Parts: sequence; structure tokens; C-alpha cells
Amino acid sequence: MAEPILQVQSLHTHFFADEGVVRAVDGVSFDLYAGRTLGIVGESGCGKSVTTRSILRIVDRPGRIVSGVVKLRRPDGSVADLTTLEPDGRVMRAIRGGEIGLVFQEPMSSLSAFHTIGNQLQEAILLHDSIGKKAARAKAIDLLAMVGIPRPSQRIDAYSFELSGGLRQRVMIAMALAAEPRILIADEPTTALDVTTQAQILDLIRRLQQERDLAVMLITHDMGVIAETADDVVVMYLGKEVEKGPVDAIFHAPRHPYTKSLLRSIPSVLAEPRSRLATISGSIPHPFARPSGCPFHPRCPDRMDICQTDVPAEISVSSDHVTACHLYVA
Amino acid sequence: MTRVLDVRSLRKHFPIRQGLLGRTVGHVKAVDDVSFAIEGGETLSLVGESGCGKTTTSRCILRAIKPTGGEIRFRTEAGADVDVASLDARQLRPLRRQMQMIFQDPFSSLNPRMTIAEIIGEPLLVNGVSSAAERTRRVTELLDLVQLPSAYLNRFPHAFSGGQRQRIGIARALALNPTLVVADEPVSALDVSVQAQIVNLMLDLQDRLGLAYLFVAHDLSVVKHVSHRVAVMYAGRIVEVAPTRSLFDAPRHPYTEALLSAVPVADPRRRSQRIVLEGDVADPSNLPTGCHFHPRCRYATDKCRVETPALTEVAPNHAVRCVRADELTLTAVPTA
Repeated sequence: MAEPILQVQSLHTHFFADEGVVRAVDGVSFDLYAGRTLGIVGESGCGKSVTTRSILRIVDRPGRIVSGVVKLRRPDGSVADLTTLEPDGRVMRAIRGGEIGLVFQEPMSSLSAFHTIGNQLQEAILLHDSIGKKAARAKAIDLLAMVGIPRPSQRIDAYSFELSGGLRQRVMIAMALAAEPRILIADEPTTALDVTTQAQILDLIRRLQQERDLAVMLITHDMGVIAETADDVVVMYLGKEVEKGPVDAIFHAPRHPYTKSLLRSIPSVLAEPRSRLATISGSIPHPFARPSGCPFHPRCPDRMDICQTDVPAEISVSSDHVTACHLYVA
Repeated sequence: MTRVLDVRSLRKHFPIRQGLLGRTVGHVKAVDDVSFAIEGGETLSLVGESGCGKTTTSRCILRAIKPTGGEIRFRTEAGADVDVASLDARQLRPLRRQMQMIFQDPFSSLNPRMTIAEIIGEPLLVNGVSSAAERTRRVTELLDLVQLPSAYLNRFPHAFSGGQRQRIGIARALALNPTLVVADEPVSALDVSVQAQIVNLMLDLQDRLGLAYLFVAHDLSVVKHVSHRVAVMYAGRIVEVAPTRSLFDAPRHPYTEALLSAVPVADPRRRSQRIVLEGDVADPSNLPTGCHFHPRCRYATDKCRVETPALTEVAPNHAVRCVRADELTLTAVPTA
């Protein structure tokens, strides 16, 4: 396989609050490749969003990257470690939005209600490309057409509140791709949308990925969306990656008890009508009350004595499939 | 089985006012000619995209808003058959405890300044259970019913996770022994692992207490796990209503087909050729002529643009609002 375009290596991002330290991201590693989609999946508090914010260096205080490396291959062939850059510096600002595009969950609150979508798009274009206002407007219209917005030369003067949720999310994607980044990070891009609109947006991301050979990092809580779109998957729980591997292995040969339980507890349109769901006992612990040893042990059906005391190390169960669980020995 | 709720030709139109004098220039037909019935102990789900009128329908039934037209016949505990749509606030009061609501967001639907005992006990207090000891006894019983330890009585909502809060919301809804519970997206704000627990709890409570559920949801996978029957809404109308198995195995309306095919299935080996619906949901203030769905329908003919289809029974208990229902062969969810 080609060289990864982005490499995250044992990233640790902690929040230092008065009540204690929250280890929001606690040792996460993965690689992103051009033309491939990496899915990061987990429930609330698993650290999936803080992972993206760490890569982009927009972690809010009192959080900070404690250790780890985020290596980005730049267009000129050099490699930069994003964790060493100044978060507000010139280089990081050029990377954020320029080399890494971003799509957030809430298309309503991510767009300004006071400027037309054209203005916002042109701003994004001019930020990374000095081509003059007229050319920027023409490019904005092209971008709107590219993401499938009907009548783009008229819609460019619309305000975000005049558009439906699906169209707004298309505008967000157009904006993320304005500077022609090679990486697209989408954080719950379809969570606020209806299933029919979700299908449209996932199709759009897939099409644009093929056209532009984009490396896509998709963050979601929805195993269905992961199964539909990802090539590789990282499953997270309480800041730890508990399992990672190719999408087929994660869904058809899951190893970690959390992945297995999570897959069993998903409601399915294929299920018997009115059938009960398999459950995971208990609930996700409060971040200040993180369990000792393996963070999943209080809810784990296969728990052993060692799980309460020792943090499991990552073990390869096949060449590209890794899990962190005491059930498996190296 | 006794029929708990019988909704007939329900309509809710919101006026659009404009200008200095606030003249009515049009109407948003949020709910337009909706009819369905729910038996005791049964779950009927209302599904559809945002803006289809499913929430407005449920709010009319609970009389949070007054419907524009139609009947909402409710069978009271005493066995009387009353039209909730025509009652005034005073007449509604004794009925309110018989129809209760479970809300979507367990974080904003519980008062942060009240203890769990106060939150669950309030409906009892309002409805005349004045003895504090009696209320505590009943609240403990309700906590047990939703599988929360009674030690939690004096804690405040912030101490609980989303799933626990939803259990508290359910206990509050059940405090007065309702016959009908309206649940508007009760699990959509919860994490997957917790969602499963709440779905199972709702199934158990229904079996134990004989509750009728009106389950409003957009997630068809959850709907399959809870419903006896499903009604699909589009632009203010029911376009298909059928027993759960028939609806998923043999949908008869093109919109149902598209909706089912859009649901992602958690299996990478089943990345299917889905039907991607073009465009957006019809604008309820400016509805298309004929069948409301025709601009997005891949089977639409000239007839669909002019003729308004009626909800017609095509099989026992299975009704469809489509002029081509008899000639189309639609795809079901590909079975496992």
C-alpha cells in the first residue's frame, strides 16, 4: 500500500479540570490513506471527537495533547508533526481547511445566518487561494454544482436558513472542499439528517472521494453508517481504541467483547418484529470515575480478575487486525 | 381487544400570516386527513422524515395543540367514548392522566431543581395523592418498575446518565396508570448500548401493564423492534399503514420502499444498490398537486400528477395511498 497521508501515533489528549484529569484520548494510533475511508466509531465519551480536534489542534482548554505524534505528509513531500506546531500559527492555519477539510454534525449552527452561503464559500476560497473576488464567486458556483445543489447560480445568494438540512450539509461539504484538501474529516456528518438525506450525503462523500482520491476520516456512533462507508475501522471506548481492523473483520470476526456486544445490541430492520435486543449491562461510566484496568471491565460479559487491575495491551489477531483485551495472548 | 384510540380525518393547519395586519396568506397543512386506531396493549408507530407531521399528530392527540378538524375518539377507563378533539381545557383534565407522554430528550425534560422523588411524585400530587408516605410508596414502586434502585429517591437529575434519566421519564409517565402512552423519539438521543435497554424496558412494561403505545420515530430499525403496526407519513398524510411484518417484507407504497432502502444495515457485505430519493420533502405550505409524493417518485405517471389517491385497503389490515399500488412490484428490505 502507498504511504499514509496522515499518521496518528499513540495520541494522548487529557483535560485537566479541578475535579481531576479526564483522559479523553488515551493512546490512539491509526493511518489515513488517499482514496480510503477510516471509520472511527464509539459511544458518547469514547474520545472520537477529541481525536479529530487534537489532529486539527482545536482542543479547548483545559484540554491539551499530553503526548503522541500526528504526522501529516504535506503537498511538497515534507512531513510535519502537527502536535509541535503553534495551534494559531501560519502553518497550522494553512493546514486546517487547506490540507484537511472538515465537516461537522450540525449544518444549522456551523453556517452563519447573517451571510449568504456564497459569501461564506468565497471567504473559504479566498482564505487559501488569492484569485480575486470574481473568480472566487465563479468557483463557489462550481463547488455548489459539484455537491449537487440545484440551480447553483441562484442558490449562491441564499441564506443558510432558506435551505433544508440536506442542502445545508452539501454547502458544508462544498466549503470543506473549497481549498482542495487531500483529507476530509467528517464528524457525525449525517447524524442530524433523515435517513433518506443521509443516504444522499453518504453517496456524495463517496463520489467526491473517488473523483479526488480523498482520504476520508468518518467519525460516527452509527455502526450502520460505518458498515456502509468505511474501509478500515477503529472502535473506541472511554478514550482507548479497543479494536481496529478492516471493516469486514470488525463486523464478521469481531474480537473485543465491547465490539461484539455493540454489534449485537444494534436494532436492525432485518430483525423479527417485536424482538428484544441484546443489551450491554450498565451504562458508560462518568469520565471522572474511570474504571481501573480495562475501562470496559465493569460491563464486560467475559471479565476476568486481571481485567480489574491491568490495562490490556494491544495484540495482533491477524496481520491488520488489532485488539486490546486480556482474552487474547500474543 | 378494546380500541383505546380512534383518530378520524385529523387535520391541523397552521395559518401563515404576513404584513402589518397579520392577514392570513396561506396555510401550512401539517396534518391533513389522518386516520388510524390503536387497540389496548398495541404499539402503532408513526414514521416519516422530518416535517411529515408525525409529531404534530401526536401533539394533537395529547391536546397540546387544538386540531383544525377531525375526531380523536378516546376510550376512557370508565368505558366511555369521548372525542378529545372537541373538549375544552376543564373537560380534558380528568382524561390527561390516562394519556401520558415520554419525551425525546432526557436532559431537558427533567427539572434540574427537583429530586427524583419530586419529579415522579408530582403527577401524583397534582392528581390528589396528598399523603407524602403514600406518594413515596408509589414512587418506590415505580422506580422498581423501571429497574432503578430506590436509593436514588433523593438525588437530582444531573447525577444520572441519559439512559437512567429516560427511565425516570418513563416512571413519571406511568405514575397515574395511563392506558395510552405517546412516546416521541424516546430512544433517539441515547447511545446504542443504552437504547437497547430502554427498548426492552418499553416492551416489558407494555406486556405487564397492557399499555397502548403511539411510538413516533424516524429510525425504522427501532420501529421494527417495538411495533405491532406501522403507519408511514408523508407531507401530512398517512401513505401506508400495515402490520409490521407486512410493511417491512412487502411494502406497497414507493415512499415506504425508498425509506426502507435508505436504512443503513450494519453489515459491510450488504452494501446494496439503494434507492436514493432525489430532492427534499414536500413543502407543507405549497404541496404538489395529485399525489404529494409524485415529484420524488420513480414510478410516477401523468395520472399521479392530477389524481389524489385515497388510502385504500390492498390486503387485510394493509392500506396504501397510491394509484398504482396494484400494478407495482416493490422491493422489500433484503432479508438476512
